[in-house]
Amino acid sequence: MADLACYIAANRFGYGANPNILQAIGNQPLAWLTAQLAPERVTTALHVVKGHWTSDLALQHLVKYAQKKRDMRDDSSLDNSAGQGQETNNELMTGKKQLAKQVMDLTELTIQQGIESDSPFFWHLVDFFSNHFSVSANNIEMRALAPTLELEAIAPKVTGHFSSLLQAVVAHPAMLLYLNNEKSVGPNTRFAQKRKDKGLNENLGREILELHTLGVGSQYKQEDVTELAKALTGWSIGRGTRQEATGFLFRDGVHEPGVRVVLGKRYRQQGMAQGQAILADLANHPDTARHVSRKLVQHFIADQGNENIVNTMVDTWLSHQGNLAKVLMSMLSHPESWQSQAQKLKTPRELLISSCRVCSIPLGQADLIRHLSNLGQRPFNAGSPAGYKDNHLAWSGPHAMMSRIEWASHVSRFVRVDPISLAQQSLGPLLSKLTIQQMQQAESKEQAVALFLLSPEFQRR
Amino acid sequence: MHRRDFVKSALAGWMYLNVPPVFAGRSASAMKTLPNTDKKLIWVLLRGAMDSLHALPPLFDKNLDRHRGALSLALRDTGLPLDRGFALHPALKHAHTLYQQGQFLPVVAVASGYRQRSHFDGQDQMECGFNQTEHENGWLARAVASIGQEGLAVAQTVPLALRGEGKTHNWYPSQFKPADDDLLQRLTRLYGEDAPMHAWLNEAISSRDRLSMQDKSSPQVKFPYLAERCGQMLQQNPAISAAMLEMGGWDTHNNQANRLTRQFSQLDAGLAALQHSLGEAWQHSIVIVTTEFGRTVKVNGTSGTDHGTASALFLSGGAIKGKQVLGDWPGLAQEQLYEQRDLKPTSDVRSWIAAVLQQHWRLTSTQLKHVFPDVQPVSMSLIT
Repeated sequence: MADLACYIAANRFGYGANPNILQAIGNQPLAWLTAQLAPERVTTALHVVKGHWTSDLALQHLVKYAQKKRDMRDDSSLDNSAGQGQETNNELMTGKKQLAKQVMDLTELTIQQGIESDSPFFWHLVDFFSNHFSVSANNIEMRALAPTLELEAIAPKVTGHFSSLLQAVVAHPAMLLYLNNEKSVGPNTRFAQKRKDKGLNENLGREILELHTLGVGSQYKQEDVTELAKALTGWSIGRGTRQEATGFLFRDGVHEPGVRVVLGKRYRQQGMAQGQAILADLANHPDTARHVSRKLVQHFIADQGNENIVNTMVDTWLSHQGNLAKVLMSMLSHPESWQSQAQKLKTPRELLISSCRVCSIPLGQADLIRHLSNLGQRPFNAGSPAGYKDNHLAWSGPHAMMSRIEWASHVSRFVRVDPISLAQQSLGPLLSKLTIQQMQQAESKEQAVALFLLSPEFQRR
Repeated sequence: MHRRDFVKSALAGWMYLNVPPVFAGRSASAMKTLPNTDKKLIWVLLRGAMDSLHALPPLFDKNLDRHRGALSLALRDTGLPLDRGFALHPALKHAHTLYQQGQFLPVVAVASGYRQRSHFDGQDQMECGFNQTEHENGWLARAVASIGQEGLAVAQTVPLALRGEGKTHNWYPSQFKPADDDLLQRLTRLYGEDAPMHAWLNEAISSRDRLSMQDKSSPQVKFPYLAERCGQMLQQNPAISAAMLEMGGWDTHNNQANRLTRQFSQLDAGLAALQHSLGEAWQHSIVIVTTEFGRTVKVNGTSGTDHGTASALFLSGGAIKGKQVLGDWPGLAQEQLYEQRDLKPTSDVRSWIAAVLQQHWRLTSTQLKHVFPDVQPVSMSLIT
């Protein structure tokens, strides 16, 4: 029987243990985790993304959708034959349905990878950073784009340097659109002089400082927000018209000219290089190192993480220019990561994924997303760029408890295998005598599965 | 007939004869004798920073259109007239009807003690109610505990405002079948060694019975529906005097005109739903609507507005002395703006809420100091 550390690796950092996972871990839990951070493993893991919906397709779709909508308006204003209007309307509805299907496929992909992949720690990290750079599907454009951010900009970068992750996210159409940077215009550009209704939007600049890098407690000021926003003017999206390609586009004509000063440092670069230089400095700032390291510890280990392990990670961050694989290894090498006491109540997403992984619950994609919504974490629906809170207070309590109970009794019906051996396989030495005893006395197999999924040792990791 | 029943029915008859039903809720003497159990308080937190210049455009202010352009010009013809030259956004139609009936009262240019521009910190501070945020100590929890009553959060988890003192329930529609009692019994044993889970479970079991949590329909979870259920639960549970509702979607950095029209109609329908579901209790109820901060006075480059400082507060309900617009107006000339960009706060939003607590639930000054130690209640009379 594998030792305690193997079960900790699988449950705390992966998405739970089943026979395949335990075999892969062997007796090398740390090596099993760090191997998932290797570039070639990441490349292999990301093969599954091929052939799916992309941000380019999303933007092309949105251009077509807008065009059809315009056509429809023109038709109705000309009082054209009703038949033609109906046709466009049908096309519009079909387009909407196709879009919904594609987006759901993609949203479900990362959940499915959490359930099935042999790199669960990698996908768990993707989920962490996807929430760190949270986008919400709050309108038609964001519905089409939101799930592309984590697969295009985040997943390929979570084991590299934080600065390239940050740059990839900030230059991604989903983020540019979500935080309204795509139409932000430098006030002193010739464009702004002509078009008095166009100007600066500081939303992205503010959230980068407050949420993505330094953190809200850091010593930046309103001027830093405005200066960063100015440096990022021009970071925009091409809509695939005749003049421009689809995707990220730097629009020099709306980029605020001149030197920017952020956190007291002057940036003389021209064009896009200016924003890149500021982002690179922010990524290597000690406050960023602390903010992100603390969030990682809070996510993987405990709501109130030990500052000692955070300090170790910050040191690694600063001496390795934000190399995330190194930072994560310093987290995993710290004894705090291996304490036997489970301190973290699983998030709704972790509960759903680990239950499906451990019990092979065959949920369809619509079910996965509906169940997540009901448990309180609908994907791409945090409603704020801060993402879902990473503290049990946000998903615990009597009502959340009852939701979990109702959910567990619902899914327990789909489990075919013997509940007791399932529990022993998944939790090993973490399984308590009390839980085994209660499961043995259950009135049905279903009820035993529900008790296992609801047991304190499965609810916590 | 038992003696006690006789007394009850005699008392009811006496009430009926002496207080004309039409005035039962409105008369000042009746309000004073009404126990706190019958005086409900509903707090609606608009998350994301609601733009008060769009909700309540000061059409009299000659600087408005200079800052706002198309955003305010569109409201010149359609705004619903209020006192002092303010108008109400046309999508807030029911609120305007309430205003005319003396049951809606906007207060302009209010802010909390928070002067930065982070939504999350701003909301946390508004929910806590102290100048220095404490994350497990909410103002509504302190307020409702001080009258010995219980709170209700219409949310999947209890928000900060209702954490801390006293007893709080939370409710949100579920889509799964209610769990059977046998499983719940077994879980009580299973959680014997896990104190927090044991406590959540016990609380869930007891409030399930009390709040009729089982909801077989699977409705669209929109604000008006949540408001309707909130009103019902308040109305059915004498122990619950305060409730909190939340509504997101106010962070209008772009396309503000269309987005706020949708938002205001949802809010408006929510107010109507509360009034409807509270029934008679509406006459003794107060709804407080606030947001974490305001938005920039000037329109931004994407037909929206950015994070600002002062916003507005709405008071509504049968117990409110409405049909007036309160709060000093700071003006919109460049030099009158806060940091040259935002509407300047002229009063603290907490001083109005404190006055409501003082006049509605008769909180003593010691109790008020406990709820909002950093402000004094305004001295105006807000309650009928």
